[in-house]
Amino acid sequence: MFRSLGPLLLTLAAATPALAGPLQVTSRVLAQVPQRAADGTMTVAMRPAARAVPGDRVVFELTFRNTGTQPLAGVVFDNPVPAGVAYRAPAPGSAAPEVSVDGRRFATIDALRVGDRPARADDVTHVRWRLARPLAAGAQGRLAFLAVLK
Amino acid sequence: MFVKKSVAMLLAGVAANVSGAGIALAQTAASAQTAAGTRIDNVASVTYTVNGTSQTTQSTTASFVVDRKVNFTVVTAQTGPTQVNLGEQNVFTTFRVTNLTNGTQDFLLDPDQLNLSLGLFPGSDNFDVTGLRAYVDSNNNGRYDPGVDTMTYIDELAPDASATVFVVGNVPDQAGAQYAYNSLHVIAAAGGQSGTQGARLVSTDLNLDGADGTVDIVFADDDSDGALLGDIARNGEGRAYSGWHVAVNNVALSVAKSARVISDGLGSPNPKAIPGAIVEYCLLVRNATLTTAANGVALRDAIPARTTYVPGSISIGTPGALGVTCVVNGSTEDDDADDAGETDGVTASFDGVTKAVTANVGTVSGGGSVAAAFRVKID
Repeated sequence: MFRSLGPLLLTLAAATPALAGPLQVTSRVLAQVPQRAADGTMTVAMRPAARAVPGDRVVFELTFRNTGTQPLAGVVFDNPVPAGVAYRAPAPGSAAPEVSVDGRRFATIDALRVGDRPARADDVTHVRWRLARPLAAGAQGRLAFLAVLK
Repeated sequence: MFVKKSVAMLLAGVAANVSGAGIALAQTAASAQTAAGTRIDNVASVTYTVNGTSQTTQSTTASFVVDRKVNFTVVTAQTGPTQVNLGEQNVFTTFRVTNLTNGTQDFLLDPDQLNLSLGLFPGSDNFDVTGLRAYVDSNNNGRYDPGVDTMTYIDELAPDASATVFVVGNVPDQAGAQYAYNSLHVIAAAGGQSGTQGARLVSTDLNLDGADGTVDIVFADDDSDGALLGDIARNGEGRAYSGWHVAVNNVALSVAKSARVISDGLGSPNPKAIPGAIVEYCLLVRNATLTTAANGVALRDAIPARTTYVPGSISIGTPGALGVTCVVNGSTEDDDADDAGETDGVTASFDGVTKAVTANVGTVSGGGSVAAAFRVKID
């Protein structure tokens, strides 16, 4: 579904970045690129995922901004985990999402089960964030989760 | 070096996290990996309310294309060197190439003869085969079939699939030849077109920007030969080693000599060995080693005292019935040592000074025998 829609959506996004509505949400995929700092320590920088092969860690990121004049209440971000990708963990600096293994019941991973066994990160099919407080006009934020390319 | 180290660190971090989740990605089969060229799109749907009115929107779509993680193995699929004989044609060693890439691809085959001794076998490399080439085992019978196994590259090998490859050559007729080392150098090449040899894959520049819409080539292959210097990790190439061994350098060759009086000059039906009688000597060469031919077999026999060699009496050929005929359909040989005009593959001569007959009977096949006859007259 997404695959067939993809090019179209991408074109739209490129041509008209401001979709209708006050809430603008931008999705990005970032890859972890190790960097050596001047003092010799290693840090991991995030770059757009130009190169990704099976086994690579990628970060799916949503940045959002209320471009309207009214506060937005009950904001829920529902992000199905794309095919070919396995959920791993909340990304550093991001609120932890609720996850689901069926797209219906969302909870923390510990509270979910698949059949008779506890759910694993591999089982996650959907990631969801709910903003606890209304998003004030002009306010923005970032949500992200770590995944690995299968 | 910098890149390698940092990758190792990153992977170590992944491993630590992954073990917590109970997943071992390193062991993922190639066919279970997301295929190269798969486009991964991420889009989130968002719901919210503005002054109590429900609204929905969607995020932009973030996309990337899964790149080609080129990985494969090449191993020697036999134990020890192949046992061969001098002069043997189409001798082969067997290798196995397995595609661990997240996509189907071709592999180029580059057979090589090594003049260095790798210490893989007990002896040193001291000969080369001629006509070195590599073929894919097209009919998967594990044996090189000349004329059947003709593919010189591996075509469209699917993820996790393997192909058997033979390195083929002809053993020269070189005395003292014992070991010939060889190796199969395998190079990853582009797949996608059946029956067409793909171009060698080139790793995409790591610093190239804006490559997220294309399938990059990322080499992930290991160093296939460990401590040996024929391969390094992450180069899209692999190498494995094997060799040929001329194990049998001796055959059980025996010669039996017999004599028979042909005529005594008196026309006796049962001729006796009296002066003037013609005696035929028969030299029977037997090769008791069934698997190996003896080449360049030469017989030398001095005629007895008080006998005279009968000129032009040397004959070489298939042994006849024991005690009746020495040679069946034997060749007629001249007595001179000048063999330039000889065409039948065997030569012979009589040396009047040493009074010796020399018969070069050529090749005695494994388990076969050849006979040579000559006559003398009793003085």
